[in-house]
Amino acid sequence: MSDERAQRLIAEAKTLRYSRRTVLKRAAALGLSAPAIAGVLGATGHAAAAQSGTPAVNLGGSLNILQGTYFVPAAQDFFTKQAKDWGKQNGVDVTTDYINWPDLQPRTTSAVQAGSGPDIVEMWPGIPYLFADKLVDMTDLAEKWGQANGGYYDWVTKTASVNGQWKTMPHGTSSIAVIYRTDLFKAAGYDTFPETWEDFFKAGKALKAAGHPLGQALGQSLGDPPSFCYPYMWSYGAMEVEADGKTVAFNKPTFVDGMNTFIQAWKDAYDGTGLGWDDTGNNSAYLAGQISATLNGSSIYLSANDPTSKDSNPELAKNTNCVPLPKGPTGQFCNLGSRSMGLLSYSKNQDAAKAFLGWFFSIDNYKAWIEAYKGYIIPTGPTLATEPVYTSDPKLKAFIEVAKYGRNQGYAGPSNLKSAQAAANYVIVNTFANAVQNGDAKSAIEQGARQLERYYGR
Amino acid sequence: MAMVGSNRMQNRWIQLYIPLIFFLLFLIFPFYWMLIVSLKPDADLLNTKLNPFLLYHVTIGHYTYLFTNTNFVRYVWNTMVVTVGSTVLSLFCSILIGYALGRFRFRGGGFLGSAIFLAYLVPPTLLFIPLSQVVTKLDLYNKYWALILTYPTFLIPFASWLLMGYFRTIARDLEDAAMVDGASRLQAMRTIVLPLAMPGVLSAGIFCFTLGWNEFLYALVFMGSGNMKTVPVGVVTDLIRADVYFWGSLMAAGILGSVPVAIAYSFFVDNYISGLTAGATKG
Amino acid sequence: MNAVPAQPEELSQNQAQGYTVARSFWQKEAVLAYLFMVPGALILLIFMAYPFFYGLYISMTDRFVGIPGSHFIWFENYRYLLDDPVFRKVVRNTFVYSFVTVPFKLVLGLGLALVLNQQFRFSRFFRAGLLLPWIVPTAISTLAFLMLYNGTLSPISWAFRHLGLMNGNINFLGDPVNAIISICVANIWRGVPFFGISILAGLQAVPDDLHEAAALDGAGAWRRFWAVTWPVIRNIVLISTLFSIIWTFADFQLIYVLTKGGPANSTHVFGTYSYQTLGVTDLGTAASISLYMFPFLAVFAIILLFYVRRED
Repeated sequence: MSDERAQRLIAEAKTLRYSRRTVLKRAAALGLSAPAIAGVLGATGHAAAAQSGTPAVNLGGSLNILQGTYFVPAAQDFFTKQAKDWGKQNGVDVTTDYINWPDLQPRTTSAVQAGSGPDIVEMWPGIPYLFADKLVDMTDLAEKWGQANGGYYDWVTKTASVNGQWKTMPHGTSSIAVIYRTDLFKAAGYDTFPETWEDFFKAGKALKAAGHPLGQALGQSLGDPPSFCYPYMWSYGAMEVEADGKTVAFNKPTFVDGMNTFIQAWKDAYDGTGLGWDDTGNNSAYLAGQISATLNGSSIYLSANDPTSKDSNPELAKNTNCVPLPKGPTGQFCNLGSRSMGLLSYSKNQDAAKAFLGWFFSIDNYKAWIEAYKGYIIPTGPTLATEPVYTSDPKLKAFIEVAKYGRNQGYAGPSNLKSAQAAANYVIVNTFANAVQNGDAKSAIEQGARQLERYYGR
Repeated sequence: MAMVGSNRMQNRWIQLYIPLIFFLLFLIFPFYWMLIVSLKPDADLLNTKLNPFLLYHVTIGHYTYLFTNTNFVRYVWNTMVVTVGSTVLSLFCSILIGYALGRFRFRGGGFLGSAIFLAYLVPPTLLFIPLSQVVTKLDLYNKYWALILTYPTFLIPFASWLLMGYFRTIARDLEDAAMVDGASRLQAMRTIVLPLAMPGVLSAGIFCFTLGWNEFLYALVFMGSGNMKTVPVGVVTDLIRADVYFWGSLMAAGILGSVPVAIAYSFFVDNYISGLTAGATKG
Repeated sequence: MNAVPAQPEELSQNQAQGYTVARSFWQKEAVLAYLFMVPGALILLIFMAYPFFYGLYISMTDRFVGIPGSHFIWFENYRYLLDDPVFRKVVRNTFVYSFVTVPFKLVLGLGLALVLNQQFRFSRFFRAGLLLPWIVPTAISTLAFLMLYNGTLSPISWAFRHLGLMNGNINFLGDPVNAIISICVANIWRGVPFFGISILAGLQAVPDDLHEAAALDGAGAWRRFWAVTWPVIRNIVLISTLFSIIWTFADFQLIYVLTKGGPANSTHVFGTYSYQTLGVTDLGTAASISLYMFPFLAVFAIILLFYVRRED
């Protein structure tokens, strides 16, 4: 009887993200016994605070952690609290900052150049390479973390390590899948989702005619546009460079054909305003019911499905499904790379920073974090991929499944300075944008290849 | 311009009301939009069937979110400290520079005047990386002084130029007379010239305040951590969550961050203009 | 402003001092002048000149932030940019952006000033209210424009759809030409109040009696404007134009928020391209991009200052 109430309170506390105080209040109202209350506190992540009072180790000093804003707002609040609690227990004054993703890079650049700023910085895939010399080595911890996760996915090693050396701690990434409206696809005659890009475009043509085009951002943005452009390029036989990391392999006849297909599809099947979208464009277009499908992380579905989110829309969530990206003639891919947390060597409190990372990258804690993230972030290795947070909702399965199709930017080489330059200057994305604007696949791809040669050949 | 003749009313429409309505529509419409969005529930915002220009339901949720989920009050305070601090500092420097350039004849005066003006041509996108090193070396990172000391770099040139022109409009005889009466130059400057120059100082002050209030890049890089954010930085980092804009609260912040300032300005806008008049036409 | 302050009593007590001041007048004036420059100069030297010259030095190195060591390579970065197709677009876009928006801002600002210069009820509130675009933080007002231009939520698109003028949404930011126009409109919106207020200030210096005299002579409004008004406001118009060109040329934030230079670099300008290059820690190239602005701006400044001075 008391157990049942405790379970209910745990569920309630988790969905509504109760504070420790609220949990205690509710527990008192429900008349739970002391052991039951302790159990509830443990299960809702408030146990740590319950035992507080005697810091485990007193490390002292302050610690500032800078990350990009979270794609799931609740997870950001969770991390802030987690970090604060850890700081309290260890006598460290921990502060957390979140910054818009596009500003993270220039902000890091200026901090490193100035030699002061945040101690721990989150980095995009491939970025650790750029700061390799200014980062504290993480080999020991990263190897331990790799073992705990059943090894690293190839795309993790290629994007978060510097030529195999661990300079940062990889913590997984946003995963990408096609998010589509089952009701609209069904109405257009598609009970199952098309398997290839060409069939996907065909479906899109019918859907656009019915007033709900496909949506894809092709503006200058580092999130959504590359998520489509890179895999599409790979699935039509082209890539930035060969395995030698030098020979540009972008201008391939199969890719020109694929691009021609896409140019036609852009007219027939897509929402033309996509050329001007940033990373938020497809979210609002999908949530407003304007488009029938788009590529994105699970955040669109999660926010529609979450009764506490500002964009909550249960009806839409019910009619939404998520599947891996379609196939092309040369395969099925997903552009993935792990983000990571780097400890900058100018940090004056490296012991505390290492202790924090050591604690954050423990399986128990990380599990709590990915749960707060509702599975939006996929892990760095296969061990945790079977966690309920990824498997319990069938609609979210695609996001963990694409891990096996993952490829890094800069493939077949590693992600490095050159691939970062190509990405930051939107070479691949702009090839697509140019092609659909001018209707000339060949010259757009030739132009893109010349740009790539500039970066890879310099 | 004077209106004469029987078709006075018609003239009034052509010369005043019609253009005024045009400017109101063009300049104020985005604010109308901000206001509407800040009061509209998210569900209505995404509902493209509704007329977006109208409010069907009213919520103050975006405003309460701004105050409860972000440190908006603190951000306003930070912005005030930084803006007032840098404005006062800039005015102090600019009054001295403007006075020296407008009043004194001395070797190198023309050159120094041009050099200060040239400072305007240096783009902030070039400066902010080297500047971040200076800020760090002086141990100013994430402190109010970081911005109070760096904002004057783009405030002093304009303010000095404006005040230089203003000082030239004030008759020399007045302070000369005071000095003959035994006042030192500094005394004459403080007691005679400065009070006369107040409209000019006010103009320069408003100008500095506005630019400081608006600044983004330096505030982001030199002071963007924790509780030390300014309104533009804090609002943008707290209310753009990865791929979602919190439109309502963003627009609420825009309204709260500008309308009070405009109301304050309305009390001395005429002073501001007259200060600018003297300074600018003699510059 | 024409209140003559009362002579403070204590002045007369300092007769003797005043005498010496008067005697060493010229000498003292020069010393004071330099002294007066010190506080401002100090700030500008530390926070402007030093970073500027350091930036100039960086632009001649191949320095990457996170990579140790760098070489002095003279003008290699500048040369590299010359055959960068993106950079060529950047130069073109910046010129288009500046030379489309500045004339509009000038003409509309002049119109606004002529309207506000008239006597009408609540004119003070209109004057302050019409300053709003200049007061609201750009970071936020640009977001309002981002929304007005949004592919899904734009009320302008909605209005066009409902008037039956078009079927879909207007592609404000996704079409190269539309994107430039959209950005220019946002810039003009933000810039008009500055012109308006500055020119209004100039108009207040125009003596009314001159206008009346000219009107009695039978001069039309157009001729009166050129004969009476223009000579008085000419300087402030030129100076405002100069400031506006400088700000527009070096603009960064508006475009960064609206398009980040897209689609396909069709709205990239110096500021945004430099910032983007910094993102990959390429300090040398980023500094060169920013510095390429300097000669252009210097030329505008010299030309306009020449015209302003010629009158004096």
